[in-house]
Amino acid sequence: MQNGTAIQVQDLKKNFGNFAAVRGVNFEVQAGQIFSLLGPNGAGKSTTISMLAGLLQPSGGDARIHGHSICQELQAVKASLGVVPQDVALYPDLSARENLEFWGKMYGLRGGTLARRVDEVLEIIGLTDRQKGKVGTFSGGMKRRVNIGAALVHRPKVIIMDEPTVGIDPQSRRNILDSVKELNRKGMTVLYTTHYMEEAQELSDQIAIMDQGKVIACGTHAELVRIVGELDRIDLTLASESALLVETWRKIPGVHSLTPQDGQVTLLVEDSNLVLPRLFDAASQSQARITSVNIFEPNLEAVFLHLTGKALRN
Amino acid sequence: MEIIDITIKDLKRVFKDIFSLVMMFAAPLLIAGLLYFAFGGLTKGDATYKMPETKVVIANLDQPGSPGFAAGEMMVEFLQDSSLQDILAVSLASDESSARAAVDSRKAGVAIIIPPDFTEAAISPDRTAAVSIYQDPTLTIGPSVVSELVNHFMDAFSGSKIAAQTATGMLSSRGVQVSENVAGQIAQSYAAWQQSSRHEEKKAIPDMVIVSPAGEVQASVQKAVPIGLIVAGMITLFVFFIAGYGAESIIREDEEGTLGRLFTTPISQAFILSGKFLAVVVTLCIQIALLLLVSALIFGISWGNPVTVILVSSGLIVAAAGFGIMLMSFIKNSRQTGPVMGGVMTLLGMLGGLFSVAIPNLPSSVDKITLVTPHGWAMQGWKLALAGSSPIQAILPVFVLFLMGFAFLAIGVILFRRRFA
Repeated sequence: MQNGTAIQVQDLKKNFGNFAAVRGVNFEVQAGQIFSLLGPNGAGKSTTISMLAGLLQPSGGDARIHGHSICQELQAVKASLGVVPQDVALYPDLSARENLEFWGKMYGLRGGTLARRVDEVLEIIGLTDRQKGKVGTFSGGMKRRVNIGAALVHRPKVIIMDEPTVGIDPQSRRNILDSVKELNRKGMTVLYTTHYMEEAQELSDQIAIMDQGKVIACGTHAELVRIVGELDRIDLTLASESALLVETWRKIPGVHSLTPQDGQVTLLVEDSNLVLPRLFDAASQSQARITSVNIFEPNLEAVFLHLTGKALRN
Repeated sequence: MEIIDITIKDLKRVFKDIFSLVMMFAAPLLIAGLLYFAFGGLTKGDATYKMPETKVVIANLDQPGSPGFAAGEMMVEFLQDSSLQDILAVSLASDESSARAAVDSRKAGVAIIIPPDFTEAAISPDRTAAVSIYQDPTLTIGPSVVSELVNHFMDAFSGSKIAAQTATGMLSSRGVQVSENVAGQIAQSYAAWQQSSRHEEKKAIPDMVIVSPAGEVQASVQKAVPIGLIVAGMITLFVFFIAGYGAESIIREDEEGTLGRLFTTPISQAFILSGKFLAVVVTLCIQIALLLLVSALIFGISWGNPVTVILVSSGLIVAAAGFGIMLMSFIKNSRQTGPVMGGVMTLLGMLGGLFSVAIPNLPSSVDKITLVTPHGWAMQGWKLALAGSSPIQAILPVFVLFLMGFAFLAIGVILFRRRFA
């Protein structure tokens, strides 16, 4: 890991009319880290990174990328960034190589340097053999890889990836996650947004959990999990909803919190081995039928549930 | 340098797109060619419309009763008039069957059979006679023209009969009895006057194309529609279309996400838009240059003074590119592009007179209406170029085209900057 702060976000805000999409976000990313912004859709992750990438002007606050202010030195900020958009943003009628060359040129690369960098990137994304193929003819996963490659040609200090694995097959997703780790091993700072808890957990040195335009928690995975202590999460599905049973469960010793939603009840409990039989007893007395049970060790989902009272997937 | 890179990338995309290539080169030449041939232009390298010659055989069976006036002979002379010799090749047959046989054997396209009592019927108020026209059923234009000519000639005799009847009636109402002989003389005098006045009238009529409302045909059609104007109209139409299509790349890139991605690079928005505008301009330059060259080779069009042509082309390119950017700045997404562009371009093409260049003798007010559009000014420029005008003579339409182009561009840039702010 390198020394120094790569990204410093200070009280960043963005309003769209009366709607506050980002409400004073603060975080710091150290150089060489993978930093994930985790949160459900609409949490403000994409708006935050759009401001960092210069696509949106902040309504308030500022951010510095390698010391350059996004409000005052946007050109310098843009030159040091590589941005991987959420959707594939490539020219489908140009080949993979032509696309990479074009995006390299947009960062001032020319001639032999450009050719070498494009060769390197093709190697990284594993498409050297398909470099002459039109991007429009590629599979979704291959397009995603070229999409990432286009942000790497100019060797940016910081790469911003906005949910790069949305809507792709597991194999391509695995490739992308491995690529991100590989880039990070080579010293690149990565700011990664996702609503997949597992991705954030697997990749990140630091994670900021966002909800409703705010960072509600920030730290390493271990630090975040400690927020909920050693609570286990139990998901129970009932054959039919029962408000009375839910209230009974809430009063059972060891139940820390309980969230009913669409026939499923999510509980944070101190020890699932002790609490689970009591839950079944109560259900039996209420003549309610439990159709499924899932027990989870403490994780980011539990953290999010603990902090917001709702599941991350929602 | 990045501007050029954006331009080159856009050019690559345009020239890889089959639809663009068809609309750029094939469609204007194809439509111009179809219009040209539809209007009978079959000669290569001739800028005027020439109607194909129709072979006419006449069986003049007329037997005038009195000497000095022979209606059948007058009709033969009328059709053999030197003014019609470019479109009619008239020969005589001794009888009806040989005239019909000439048509049947395709030695003639039309046979005219003048009946024996033609003169009698012409001068007698109460009698009628029918001139028969026998035609090759595979022909259309030639027989129609002959039929119109014969009708026109017959109208003159109808007029003489009406004149004789009117004169006789007026004299009778005042107690003067008019003999049949005198009535015939009145009809003859009217017919002779009508015949001579027709010749005078014909001298005064300027050259026209095909058939005038009165059925008058002029063999010399030197002011007929030049293929150059038809091609110029199609070039103008499709240059505006391609300019719109090229400018649509901004909308398409917005939807593809590449425009947003471009905005994350260190290139400014102004440079990005400039690169795209330059791509449209270069595309139009290539399109016009190739169309002018190919149309000169295929249709033998002489486009006139090269400097004038370059000036008019430049004005057209700037006006079309500016208009394309402005039009696209009003469009929200690429689904709207087809209907809006098709509708606007066709409407402006119509208003600009691009589809009416083949219609002769339009009122001068139509010419004035065309000038509310850049298309109309472009056509003014092309007309001057085709007429061999000097660059100075063509400066007004070129100036107006540049002015319009920059105004359109300014509006488009302002709207796009607002959209992407």
